[in-house]
Amino acid sequence: MSAPRWRAFVSSALVAMSLAGCSSTVAVDVAYPDANVNRATLASVRPRRVEVRPVADRRPDTTRIGVQPDEKKKPVVTSRPVADIVRDALVTELQRNGHTVVSDHPELVIAADVDEFSFDVVTGRSSAQYVGKAALALAVTDRQSGKTVFARRYVGIKRQTADLEAKHAARDVMDAALARAMHDLATDGELAQAFGGGRSDVQRI
Amino acid sequence: MKRAVAVLLVLVLAALSGCASSAPARQAGRPFDDVRRLTIVVSGESQFAVLAHSAEPGRTFDTLLKWTPYATLLKPIADLVHQAINWLMASDRKTDAAGDLRDVSPPAVVTRAFEETLRASGRFDDVRTAQREPVGEDRRRDDVVVRVTVPAWGLVRVREGDPDLLSAYADVRAEMVALETGTVLWKNDEDVTDTERLPLKSFTADRQLTRQRLVDVLQRAGRRMASELLYARSAGR
Repeated sequence: MSAPRWRAFVSSALVAMSLAGCSSTVAVDVAYPDANVNRATLASVRPRRVEVRPVADRRPDTTRIGVQPDEKKKPVVTSRPVADIVRDALVTELQRNGHTVVSDHPELVIAADVDEFSFDVVTGRSSAQYVGKAALALAVTDRQSGKTVFARRYVGIKRQTADLEAKHAARDVMDAALARAMHDLATDGELAQAFGGGRSDVQRI
Repeated sequence: MKRAVAVLLVLVLAALSGCASSAPARQAGRPFDDVRRLTIVVSGESQFAVLAHSAEPGRTFDTLLKWTPYATLLKPIADLVHQAINWLMASDRKTDAAGDLRDVSPPAVVTRAFEETLRASGRFDDVRTAQREPVGEDRRRDDVVVRVTVPAWGLVRVREGDPDLLSAYADVRAEMVALETGTVLWKNDEDVTDTERLPLKSFTADRQLTRQRLVDVLQRAGRRMASELLYARSAGR
């Protein structure tokens, strides 16, 4: 590498480092890990072709999911859009339960709104309590009849005490809150029945 | 030269394959997949508490200690005073908030919701609740019990502000045990928090509201625990 190129490389690296240090937000990688997804009650009905519509983000404040509890009070954001995180979780859960997620000729259409996806921190003397909350409203429509066959709101909340300097507490409570909402959804017998076409052919598993 | 490159390539590939993330081995079946009959046993004591997680007055003490030359010496004493003051304040709040709750049995409310959710799932032939561990003939019939405890419940501060907001909460524990062997087949701890957030004043001023929120969170805890049990149980279509 020639001297001018080296200089350019070093100065770019320095600029990038300083920008990272001055970043006005903190990004956390909230996700619903595929490895932890089980076949649950939703797997007790015949496999369906399901379209999952883009998730609508209806949070009152979409600019952040919380604030860091230190003196800088930097806003905390997710590294991916919240709507994508929730849609991916839904798709993962449906697929693991034996249903096929399609974009054309579906039997069922799922529409979901996220209305809460945030955490609060209550700081104590030597520790902080994190409370993460994920709430989504789900509607299942039968494609052929156009009727909404199921609608319900699922809320997952996780409360956790952590050190004041804990780095991953925000991500951990949001991961757990999302997982709890998804587990409630996957074990919902009425949702499974709606998937099965409302018939009482839900297998005993 | 070509040989060296080839060796290098092989080494790099070997290293990469060692680092490759492999899908975790999924359990084919869980130890309680074939359990069809459940006896839920209510057990343990429940402690009612109002949790504030307050930084004060300790933070003020820390500021004052900065100005004295005896900071190191006085710090442990300040910590104790901080704890004592918060304990006294929590006791007052607890007395105010827990006025009409003597007839509420947290494990009984949780267990009822847990039982109803499991029964509605249709995944068990028989689900029933017992007040104590089965003995004699019952013990022979009930091969598996789920012990449910609610170690703590009450109100917890969930948002700082003016005013602070509190929610009802319940910490619940469940343990599924095979009676014959004593083997723990499944266990789970759930911190359950109500979806409603209200100022402390709302809880202390309206006993009926407080009671309703607390009973609701206990029922929610029972349903949550059932969801986790059902989720942990393999569907195995």
